[in-house]
Amino acid sequence: MTNSIWGKDHSIAQAYWRTGYADFPIYDLHGHVGAHYAIYMKRCEPDTMACHLRRAGVKHLVFSHHEALFGNMRNEQVYQLCRSQPDLLRMYVAINPHYPERIREDLAKFDAWAPFAVGFKFLADYHNERVDSKAYEPVLKFANERKLPILNHTWGGSCCSNSTILLAVAQKYPGAKFFMGHSFFGDWDGAVKVVRETPGNVWLELTAIPGESGIIERLVQGVGSTRLLFGTDLPWFDEFQAIGGVLSAKIDEEDMRNIFYRNAEQIFGENW
Amino acid sequence: MKDLFFFDSHCRIGSNCMGHSPVPDIPTLFEEMDRFGVDRALIRHIGIDKGALWTNREVSAFLREDPAHRLTGVWCILPSQCDELPEPDVFFALMKEARVGAITLSPFGHNYIPCRLTLGRILDAATERKIPVLLDAFAGKWQELYHFLEEFPRLRCIYLEGSGRWGTDRYLRPLLENYPEFHFSTGGYWVPEGICDLAERYGANRILFGSGLPRFLPGSGMLQLKQSGLDPQSLAMIAGKNLSRLLEEAQL
Ligand SMILES: [Zn+2]
Repeated sequence: MTNSIWGKDHSIAQAYWRTGYADFPIYDLHGHVGAHYAIYMKRCEPDTMACHLRRAGVKHLVFSHHEALFGNMRNEQVYQLCRSQPDLLRMYVAINPHYPERIREDLAKFDAWAPFAVGFKFLADYHNERVDSKAYEPVLKFANERKLPILNHTWGGSCCSNSTILLAVAQKYPGAKFFMGHSFFGDWDGAVKVVRETPGNVWLELTAIPGESGIIERLVQGVGSTRLLFGTDLPWFDEFQAIGGVLSAKIDEEDMRNIFYRNAEQIFGENW
Repeated sequence: MKDLFFFDSHCRIGSNCMGHSPVPDIPTLFEEMDRFGVDRALIRHIGIDKGALWTNREVSAFLREDPAHRLTGVWCILPSQCDELPEPDVFFALMKEARVGAITLSPFGHNYIPCRLTLGRILDAATERKIPVLLDAFAGKWQELYHFLEEFPRLRCIYLEGSGRWGTDRYLRPLLENYPEFHFSTGGYWVPEGICDLAERYGANRILFGSGLPRFLPGSGMLQLKQSGLDPQSLAMIAGKNLSRLLEEAQL
């Protein structure tokens, strides 16, 4: 253990090993709240999630609500929910392309949901509607004008949110900030290409990647650690599993700091 | 300063016909184990699907490169009717001689039905002698796993996730509840604080640390376990003591 990553004095890894947190805040930019049909989630409501997040030194979790994505919960209710953990929670307004009326209403309310609403969430594969379809246009234009983030669920070879589709969309809306959830998992070359061929408005988000051998190194090499964002899909995946995965990668501590918090502060500021 | 003993139950080594392997040999494995502070590992071959006999031989060869005995090997079994392996008593004696402490099977790669007809002779003997059986081949094949355990309910076994990630509690918990000798390896189980929940409900003795190497790096699962909220005793059991105990109790 002494010669391991955990034993290195004054290192980030040692701090997490000993105490569960380090000398900086973590921003988890890919979370959810609420039960999900596919698996059992014991801790999926704000209070139980808050304990886990605080233990790991997470300052903000930015989430979309499962029921707003997969059911009929409205984002107004999600906003009310944020107020139960006002320091911790920030929300992506969940966009369901099959309900244009709801989208119109939500865009009209967006400003009233400050400071909690910080961007939008697209789940194009699950809603089976390509991100370049007409249905998303009002949100893309809104985000483009206001320079707001959109967290996209992406995956290599997906039907509706693959790297070819997202490259074109990110080029078309250079003002919007595109967070590519899961970094086009598996299509690592495509992920690198999307960042390289867009005007600085794309970040690769790491949910499901930390712990996988060699992938973070590959992305750091391809796009630089300033283009990577930390996320866990909590309550799907454990914060410490993901943190441990970043700490396990063969990258230096400056890269780790970029991933855990500096890039998020670059985008959102230090107080948001 | 050593605060926790880790014994990895989910670790593959070697190379197969698909070319490059991240952990092809013993020096690379030791390097990875040392980088994360993993003390010992139960190793099985990465190419098991593509052959039981040659991978068993290679595991023996790997173990001969481990004078400090940090590693214990896993051999793969086959149905008893085709005379590819010796009788159980002889097979177990050979395992002991080679420092192989557990067995596995690959019925879906090796084309047979995992049931009493094919494996009864060797698995009944393994059950009597408390030899741990790794159920890595059943990763994600829950229907088949449920059938298999109905046939061998007293088998001392360890289920290993494959690519994992999504919480498998709805599949897993009924098995932990109904089969006292069913154990669970943590690699790929990423449920927030889920290890702690399972330990509280079914006992920490049922859970073993597993890294998932070489696909997954040990560090993520180690930190997840270390910060899972478990009491120190349960933590030590899951990190390494349980696997040590299971291997010691095997009567080879
Ligand atoms: Zn998600």
